Order: sequence, then structure tokens, then C-alpha cells
Amino acid sequence: MLIFLLKRLGFMLLTMLVVSILLFLVLEINVENLATRVLGQFSTEEQRQIWLEENGYLRPIYIRYLEWIGDMLQGDFGHSTRFNVPVSEILFDRLGNTGLLALCVFGVMVPLALTLGILAGMREGSSMDRSITFFSVLTTSVPEFASAVFFSAIFVFALGWLPGTSGMAQGFNWTEMVLPVVVLVLYGFGYIARMMRASMAEVMQSPYIRTAILKGLPYRRVITKHALRNALIAPFTVIILQINWLLSGVIAVEYFFSYKGFGALLLEASLNTDIDVIQGCAIVAVFVAVGTQTLADIGYTYLNPRIRFS
Amino acid sequence: MNKSDLGKVHAALPRLVEDLEHGRLKRRAFLRTATLLGLSAPVAYAVAGTITGEYPVSRAQAQEPRHGGILRTSMNIKDCSDPAIYDWSEKGNVARQVIEPLVMLGPDNIARPWLAERWEASEDLKTWTFYLRQGVKWNNGDDFIADDVIANFTRWLDPATGSSNYGRFAALRGPDDGDPMLDNAIEKVDEHTIRFNLRTADLALPENMTDYPALIVHRRFVEEGGNFVENPVGTGPFLLQEFAIGQRAVFTKRDAAEYWGPEIYLDGLEFLDHGDDPAASLAALASGQVDLLYRLFSIDQVPAIRQRGGIRLYEVATAQTGVARMKVTEPPFDNEMVRQAVAACIDHEVLLDLAYQNFGLPGENHHVSPVHPEYAEIPRPQQDYDRARQLLAEAGYPDGIDVSIDCVAQPTWESNTCQIIAEMVRPAGINLSVNIMPGGTYWDRWLTAPFGFTSWTHRPLGVTVLNLGYRTGVPWNESSYSNPEFDRLLDQANGTLDVDARREIMAQLEAIMQGDAVIVQPFWRAIHTASSDRVQGFEIQPAEEHHYHGVWLQEG
Repeated sequence: MLIFLLKRLGFMLLTMLVVSILLFLVLEINVENLATRVLGQFSTEEQRQIWLEENGYLRPIYIRYLEWIGDMLQGDFGHSTRFNVPVSEILFDRLGNTGLLALCVFGVMVPLALTLGILAGMREGSSMDRSITFFSVLTTSVPEFASAVFFSAIFVFALGWLPGTSGMAQGFNWTEMVLPVVVLVLYGFGYIARMMRASMAEVMQSPYIRTAILKGLPYRRVITKHALRNALIAPFTVIILQINWLLSGVIAVEYFFSYKGFGALLLEASLNTDIDVIQGCAIVAVFVAVGTQTLADIGYTYLNPRIRFS
Repeated sequence: MNKSDLGKVHAALPRLVEDLEHGRLKRRAFLRTATLLGLSAPVAYAVAGTITGEYPVSRAQAQEPRHGGILRTSMNIKDCSDPAIYDWSEKGNVARQVIEPLVMLGPDNIARPWLAERWEASEDLKTWTFYLRQGVKWNNGDDFIADDVIANFTRWLDPATGSSNYGRFAALRGPDDGDPMLDNAIEKVDEHTIRFNLRTADLALPENMTDYPALIVHRRFVEEGGNFVENPVGTGPFLLQEFAIGQRAVFTKRDAAEYWGPEIYLDGLEFLDHGDDPAASLAALASGQVDLLYRLFSIDQVPAIRQRGGIRLYEVATAQTGVARMKVTEPPFDNEMVRQAVAACIDHEVLLDLAYQNFGLPGENHHVSPVHPEYAEIPRPQQDYDRARQLLAEAGYPDGIDVSIDCVAQPTWESNTCQIIAEMVRPAGINLSVNIMPGGTYWDRWLTAPFGFTSWTHRPLGVTVLNLGYRTGVPWNESSYSNPEFDRLLDQANGTLDVDARREIMAQLEAIMQGDAVIVQPFWRAIHTASSDRVQGFEIQPAEEHHYHGVWLQEG
């Protein structure tokens, strides 16, 4: 088990190292563009050269890379040219906001998806199964930006029940969370529910469940005691991978509702060529992606006793 | 005030009154010119009213204003560190709540005295004396004095500062790009009087002082850090309390006893950033999260706003536009015939209809608007594909040519316009591809792209725009246009007070620009914004400046 864990962590570090090198090369090759961005359109070539010299951009790229990695390991992600503050000041703020959104979405989505998946999978082909399947396929098929417009048109413009944006300008306001959470839950829950349903249906057809039912165990006990544990293994991986999606893949929803999250930050940074922020966000996103993947691997191994280590 | 009194303010004023009386001058042109020559706006309105019978009626006077409340406006919050190098109206709107201009442009597009109480111009318009308002206090307790204004002009006219005011006040510096301010350009007469000695006559000097990079900062701005956000010292009615780029700017009202200006009804202001999605700010307004929008970003939103109760729509005709400008130093646009061929393909009426739902006026490829007082009506360029093909062939492209134009993704009218231009030039053999890119990317290259579509904000006078964008060597001359005859005529127009005489010069300038085909200018935009019904006394201003002096909030 220990060797397995070390291998996974080693693989994770290696992935991050490779990605960081690629990222640095892509973003820092054109330093002239960066100087223009910082000093403005009317800066002269001489001013740009002085700025590049003063900020160490004229040194060899491998030295800059090692320094960048070293700074990042100490929590220094550089300086944002758009926000004019250290990157870490906004990055972790925004990550916190997105974490909050993800937590709300998880709190609703996972129990809802699991419950509906179990209900559908318990009696495959029943009217409840068909209804749940239809609903989950429908909501998952509609992209987030489309359902965001749809719900906004109804609940903001037509009924006037909910705030139209979620910038939390006056501090935390739960009503501002409703629309982004609903849009994300509806988009994301179908995938987990379908996975849960398939897994549950498979387990329900296995001989040991048939035996349990035939020997007269109460149906509820068969489900909760025998079927669920095995049926949860497959959806677990999917659920863990949703963390990655929620932290860096919900750009459209954050943008539409003006939610000051991590995805929106990445978009703003990209639109404004804010190199340090792009680098910081990308590294964090890669860390989250690789981290959740590793967590899913480890969790899956733990949950499934059939997997053994040699 | 009779004519002899008017003559004391400026020798040319009695003649202006006569022109108005005899119908040679329109009321609007009279108001504009009279205020430029130092007549205060209320007096100018009164004089015009006695002649034409038209008096301004302010909507704010219809009800008794209510004190209190925080006005929340949806607007992008950008880096506002140094007012001298501002390049967005939004930056100006944050700063102008704290720092103020010498001259303010009203919602009626007429400049009026602000920190400068009045001014006088010599007959040749080369010497201007500005009398600063006395009793104005900075919010750090200092008096507002001539040294403040001199420090600002000195900094603006230092090429190293990189301020667009370097082009705006070109008459105060040497003629060549990079020249410093002239030694005797600004004289301090006394603590509250300044004399400007111009190299060439410039009628628009006061109007140029209304633009957003010309907000006046404290005389020790640079010594105290050179950062407005960190050290928000100003003469204005509000105090900056909180500022976060991309999020918010929060202001509280300054103690009324300390502020020199008109009464302020609001307790405070909040500018909230809802990102670049036009739908987000509208949703914020519809759900009561904000009271006012900086502007409507998409013309497509106008019909939706009109149908919705509880929201007030504001519209004003402006000299705002976009120009598909061709860089005359870059191939293939260094060939005049290529540029003329592109221009010959354009049907401006169709462009206005398709790209902007007819909210505005067709353009004429010379960047002088019908709302400018000196606009001269010359023949509008007509679509002529035979001529376009012939020009292309003569330019060495008988089989057509492949070119591309850069433009921003938002607002959509800009990219839509480029797409329609691409369709219009195709029959002549010009294959135009449209590079739609994020705003940040475009603004990094707007001065260097061979063919780009750039939006231009409103300026009150036609000469101002031409001085900023088309004079040889000025920083915003994005097409690198250089024509000595054009520069000479522009100097002449700058020094011509008489509107009719200036119009004759403008006719020549407009014709030169059309002939040289520097730009395809599709149309002039009407602009819109919206507020909730609670907002009273707000008036949309053609340059999208937000002034909140008469604004108040109804209860509810």
C-alpha cells in the first residue's frame, strides 16, 4: 500500500513538473508583449527594455524558471498586472469563493444524484427508472450557459424572485448562490445519477443479492446492507472527479452570474494577458486535477477489496 | 447682459449674438462657442433664451430632491492609478467623483466652467487666461491654486509620461513628436490665474480640458507616490473609501461644508463590476442589485429595456463611432488605391441598419460628426464596385487581394460591423477575414495592426478628434497618417473662431480624409443606458461621463 501511495504521489509530482515547464515556456517566451502590457501602449522601446532589465526578464529562461518554481513553492505567485496586487492575494480569495460554490453544489448534487440513481437502479425498467433517466439525461444535455440564460429569464426577469448576479457585493447573500448552484447541480447531477443507476442495476442482478432476497431478508436491508456498498464504488470516482470540474471548469457559470470565482479569474487573466495570474491559476488547476485523480485512485483502491497490492 | 457687457467677456461675443439673432448661427452652436469663450453656461442659456425663446428645463426640477441613499452603478473597475494615462471612460468615472476637471462637459455637449471659474482668449486665440475658482479645498486641507494646474500640465506635456494629453494640448509644446513643453507655455499670473501661451491658435483649448485624462490631481501627486488609488486626494464631492480592480469602488460623500460645488444629494456611491458579459449588468439592474448602468453594452438590449417596467432608458446622439482604419505605412495599405478600393465598397446606410439597428447616423469616412458644430456637409461616399475593382487592378491586384482586420469580441456591434464590411468588400475581390479577439489582446496592438477596427468615444468638437487621431506623429494616430496639407488646415481650423469660416476649412479637411481613404467609418452611434425608476436627475452624457451632482434617489 505504501509503495502504491508513493508511486501515485511521485507520478503526481512528475506531471506537475512537466506541466509547469510547458506552461512557463508558452507564457514567458514573449516578454516584450508583457512589458507593453505593464507599461502601456505609449511606452517606448527603451522604457520596455529598462523594465525588462529591472525585473530580470532578460536573464536566461532556465534561471527564471527555477526562480519561479522556488517562489511558487514559498507561496509567491508573482504580481498581477491587471489587479495590481500580488497574485496570491486574489488567487486564494477566488479559490475560496469557488470552493464555497463547489461545496454548495456538492451538498445538493451528490445526495440528490445518489438518491435518484439508487431509486432508478433498484427496479430497472420501472416507470420511476424511466422518469429519472429521462430527467437526468435532459438536464445534463443542456449546457450550463443555456440553462443559466433560461433560469435567469424566468426567475430574474419574469418573476423577479432572485438576484441576477452573484458578485456578493454586499457580503455573503445566500439568495445570490441559488441560481449558480441550481444551474451547476442540474448540469452535473445527471452524470453521477446515471453512473449510480448503472452500478446499482448491475449489483441488483448479482447472485448474492438474489440469494439475500430469496432467503427472505427485508428488501430495505438488502439495499442498504448488501447492495449499496458495492454499488457506490463506481460513482465514487465520478464524484471525486467532479471536484476538478467544479474548481476550474465552471467558467461559463461564474462569468454569466458575475461570480468572483477561480474560473472567472482565469478567464479575466487570459483576456488581459495577465501572465502571472494565468501561471498561478494554471498551476493550481493542474494541482487540483492531478490531486483529485490521485485521491480517486487511492479511494477506489480502498473501497474495492478485490484490488490487491503485490 | 447686453452686448457691450458681453464684449467685456470676449470681443467676439457680440458678433455671436448677432449671428444668432439673424439665424446665421444655431442655438446649440451659439451656446457651445459662447461658453468656450468664457461665458458661463447659465448666462449663455439666458442670452440664447431671450433671442430664441427656448429655455432649458431640468427634469430634476420637477420634484423636490430627496437627500440620502447610496447610488449603485454597474461598471467595470479598471486600474485607476494614474489619471494622466487613463485610456477608458470608466477610469474617468471612478476618478471624477474625487478629482475634477478645469472645464466640464455637460449632458448638452456644452463645456462649462468647473475648477476654472472663467477664461478669456486673445483675438488670435493664442493666449488664454484662466481664472481659477477661489475657495476650493483639496480633501487634504490644502487650497486649490495655480501650482496644481501647472504641475498637471507640465506632467502631461512630458513625453515620458505617456499621456494622451500630449496630443490634446499639442499647441503648448514643440511641433515634433517628442518635443517638450514650450518654456513660456504656462505663466502663473497669480495664485488663481494662469495664462496659456499657445504655439498655434486653438479654439478647443477649454473643451480639451473636459476629457477624462485631464482631471486635475494635487500638485504633489508624484512626490506623494503618484498613485491616485492609494492617495485619493481631490477637490471633488466624494471620498474614495474602497477600491478593488474587477470588483468595486466605494465612495462616501464629503462634508458639504468642505465642498465648493453644487449640493450633493447622495450619501455615497458604489461602482460594482459585473464583468464583461453585457447580460450580467442588465440582470443586476432588473433584480435591483444596482440602480444604474454605466451604459448598455449591446444595442440588442434596447428593445428588452423598453418593454420592461420600472426601468428608465436614456438615449443621446453622439459623436461616438468606430473606425476601420488602415495603417498607411503597412502594406498593402501603404498603397492609397487599395484603401480607396476598400472605401468604395461600403454602403453606410446598410451598415448602420444591419450592425446598429439604425440607432445613429451614417458615417462619411472623415470622423467629423453631424453633431459637431463645424461639420460641413460634403458628398457621402457611395458604394461603387466598378471603381473598387478598377482601383485594385491599378494598385497591382487585378485578381483580388487577401487582407484581415482585427477587432474586439465585445461589444458585439464592432465585430458585427467588421463581418458586414467583409461581406461588402467581397464582390470587389477583397477577401477580408475578421480576427475577433478579446479586448485586452486588441488594445495591445491597436496602434500597430495593419487593419483594425477601433471604437472612438465622443468629443465635443470635430477639430479635437482630428487633432487626436490624424495629426502627424500624435500618440493616438493609429493609422500613422501624415499629410502636411491636412496638418496645416487643421492648424488653421484650430484658430478659426467663426463657425461658418471654420466649417469651410473643415470641408477641405473632410475631403482630404475621404480622398486619402484613411478610414472606413461606418456610422455615428446613439448611445444608451438605463436606470431603475428610483434614480432621479441623472442625464446621459455623450462622452459617457457620469456626473452625480443633481442625482437623487426616490424612496422605495
